[in-house]
Amino acid sequence: MARNEVAVVGVGLSKHVSKRRDVNMAELVWEAVSACYEDAGLKPRDIDAFATGNMPAFEGVNVPEEWGAGHWGAYGKPVLRITTGGTTGGSVAHGGYYLVGSGLYDTVMTIAFEKQSDGNSTMGLDTVALADAAAQLQLGVDPAFIAAFGGGAVGVAVYQASSYMKSSGCTTHHLDKVAALCRNNAALNPYSHLKQPGLTPEEVAKTTLLQYPIRFGHVCPATDGACAMLFTTGEKARKLTSKPAYVLSVASCSDEAALVGIAGSGTTNVDPCEQESCKLAAARAYELAGISDPRGEIDLAEPYSPFAHQMLMFYERLLLCDEGEAPSILDSGSMNLDGELPVCPSGGVISTNAIGASAMERIAECAMQIMGKCGERQVKKEVHKAVAHGWGGAVNLNVVAVLSDTPRR
Amino acid sequence: MEKEAAIIGYAQTPYEADSNCSRELLVLQATRAALEAAGLKREDLDTIVTANNDYLDGRTISNMRLVEPAGSWRKNESKVEMDGAFALLYALTRILSGDHDIALVVAESQASVYGGILPGIMMLDPTFDRQRWLLNEVSGAALQASAYMDASGVSEEQIAGVAAKNLDNAAGNPLALRSLPGADAAKVMASRPLYSPIRDLMMAPLCDGACALVLASGKAAAKAEKPVWIKGVGFAHDSYLTERPLESMNSLKLAAGSCYAQAGIEDAASQIDLAEVHERFAHEELMSYEALGFCGPLQGGAFFDSGATRMDGKLPVNASGGAMGANVDCGAGLARVIEAAMQVRGDAGKHQAKGVKTALAHGQTGICAQENIVYVLGGE
Amino acid sequence: MGAKAAKDPVPRVSIPLNPVFGWTVGNWMENFFDGMKEGKILGSRCPDCGRVFLPPRMICERCFAKADEWVELPATGTVQACTEAAVKVAENGDMVDLENPEIIAMVKHDGADTCITARLEGADASIGMRVEAVLNPGAENVLDLLAAYRPMG
Repeated sequence: MARNEVAVVGVGLSKHVSKRRDVNMAELVWEAVSACYEDAGLKPRDIDAFATGNMPAFEGVNVPEEWGAGHWGAYGKPVLRITTGGTTGGSVAHGGYYLVGSGLYDTVMTIAFEKQSDGNSTMGLDTVALADAAAQLQLGVDPAFIAAFGGGAVGVAVYQASSYMKSSGCTTHHLDKVAALCRNNAALNPYSHLKQPGLTPEEVAKTTLLQYPIRFGHVCPATDGACAMLFTTGEKARKLTSKPAYVLSVASCSDEAALVGIAGSGTTNVDPCEQESCKLAAARAYELAGISDPRGEIDLAEPYSPFAHQMLMFYERLLLCDEGEAPSILDSGSMNLDGELPVCPSGGVISTNAIGASAMERIAECAMQIMGKCGERQVKKEVHKAVAHGWGGAVNLNVVAVLSDTPRR
Repeated sequence: MEKEAAIIGYAQTPYEADSNCSRELLVLQATRAALEAAGLKREDLDTIVTANNDYLDGRTISNMRLVEPAGSWRKNESKVEMDGAFALLYALTRILSGDHDIALVVAESQASVYGGILPGIMMLDPTFDRQRWLLNEVSGAALQASAYMDASGVSEEQIAGVAAKNLDNAAGNPLALRSLPGADAAKVMASRPLYSPIRDLMMAPLCDGACALVLASGKAAAKAEKPVWIKGVGFAHDSYLTERPLESMNSLKLAAGSCYAQAGIEDAASQIDLAEVHERFAHEELMSYEALGFCGPLQGGAFFDSGATRMDGKLPVNASGGAMGANVDCGAGLARVIEAAMQVRGDAGKHQAKGVKTALAHGQTGICAQENIVYVLGGE
Repeated sequence: MGAKAAKDPVPRVSIPLNPVFGWTVGNWMENFFDGMKEGKILGSRCPDCGRVFLPPRMICERCFAKADEWVELPATGTVQACTEAAVKVAENGDMVDLENPEIIAMVKHDGADTCITARLEGADASIGMRVEAVLNPGAENVLDLLAAYRPMG
């Protein structure tokens, strides 16, 4: 039992676009931070500690908060840097949960970001390939390997997708449908990057095939963006807002580093679509949250899916249905904004990927949906419990958080 | 904090200029030895926090290749990209939250595989300072030393004296990379000049190594032998180096304040029996005396001259030799916590100080000690 | 601790990767560089506490206010900290000896509350010394616009 109940009382997001040339990294993050203070009605003096992270390989700045944290209201406060690759934002938000839950700090701001446009330009990668290289870096592929092979491979994602398709019966049409669903949701989200209202699966199917089965339309963009969240104790949250989003539990689980034939590291014995660590993390998170039947109790899911197949694959690995069932659940319409268990109402990582921030934005979306702050993309059903997920490392780290409109019993 | 979390095991690898093995092997050695010291198996671990840095590792997501050696396979894991002393705070919050009982913290880096002080240069403001190639961790420290000397009247000889004391103490520490038994200020003053007043022997040597620590909840620690309890912790971040007064360590003072409030320390100089401070540069130890309240503002030099912080003084500082003996990036602060715990247990061997019941440990990250963390530890 | 796995040196690879980053400096720093091209030193001021940042910052870290007032500062200032560099950092990260030591100083311009770090011409420096900026409005590289400081007469 967490010593303190933990609740989210504020969320802030910057604009998310390909290139921000008017602000530097620290200033971009300020936009999210400032929006977050405003959302919660708090000021920097109310904050007891900060947790932050990004994926520093993208910007080439080591421990960027040494220079940047002054822009975020962190003067004289603890600033804990937590970085775990693609899962960074989730890991940082988990830090917010633990810092508050421990009783050491009452109110904690968590900040995650990426300014990918500051990144390495010598690789001469265009937008498509940059997204690919970004995804590979996110997967922990040695940058030298990427440099040597240019933007040629969508890497582990294609192996994972084809393996998933074989075991689940998912077809390329399902991938097209996922992409269309997410990009349509993204069109309703003011903070998303790729907005494609009205996009149809047929249009996605016409985009360039990068490497079977992944098409251009199935892949996330490279985004500049930042996300900030405010965590506080249940007691303080109830004074601040009539509808806080409680964090019932968090769990992470790491598995063997597995990169299929890439960079000579890890093992080739692990099927990249197996994701046992996701199942273990989800099971632990549900257990801590007192959820015995996730399929019946979870109202909304934000799986981390920079590639289309991952939305379905992680839906299964988050124990929301049997393995192999997700494609037919997609077909049933249950995953739509007005469905029984909406998935990626934000538009997902496939529409917006400011890498370090992405896994936090999953948790932020769950919190906002519970708080009823999602505007046009607010799902139709009432959200009592939601699950947020992050994925990264060498296909090996999964982080899961469960949020609710009522505190942990 | 009253018996809520305790250190129940720890280990350090020898600190070497070149460990001649992979970092995975270093982490495996430290992890296994720490678990053995705690009388635990990998299966007993609930959560693992590693401390390492992508730039020091030379590859992105530096924690992911440590899954197996750190014992985190199919376990709850995270990484703090700062010194291990900060990773320990994260592990502590994971335990205090009630979700976990046993945590492992492991920190590593290998200076032999990365470009000297380049990762520090990458911490600078990229829109200005970084591109001017003047500031780095050493020149930054030298600027801080100059401001401190000007404000306090501390001399180069006094700073050299601190380095000599620690290098002499390091002779009693079998794991230290560098030691100079019987060293004096003159010997330090004769070493290679870098950025005045900093000379080679006033700068902590970068090296290869790993250290690990097992932390347990009060409930789990009750079963352990000689638990060392965490009585208090404080942490603060300072402004960027060109935007703050450099002559005092304000964030260390703030960190000490919140740590002492938790630990019930009202008069640090009399209530603390021993301190291990993370002095990456010798003058930082003098500045830390002041920030930690061992003496008044700008009195660090006089306090050192009194002999209080020597091995046989009333408040020995860095009996292990401190970072002057060995300074693993990401690990040296956690090593200070481990050394302080050893002193509380009476397990420090040749560098054991007398009668240590309450010990202080300090860790830092960043240029001019921008981020500081302080622990107070105690036995029964 | 256990014995080493191998006595022979372990094989090593060196990765010759030298990525170039294209950092956005942001509108505040751009204004600063544009000012120096006209020989002006521009700092930003916090409307709440009045502190003046040089180099300019968009946000005052103490007040969390947007420092959107601009002030032109004199080229003169005072040394706050200084060091004689006997070495420089080579590209591989080693500290290599300089043939002629140089002075690096942190200078607070008159009217500013934060410092600029730059070379100081001459052989002697001390804290409290009065200096003035050596500006090169014509410099091609914006980093050379403020090349150094020199002691005042």
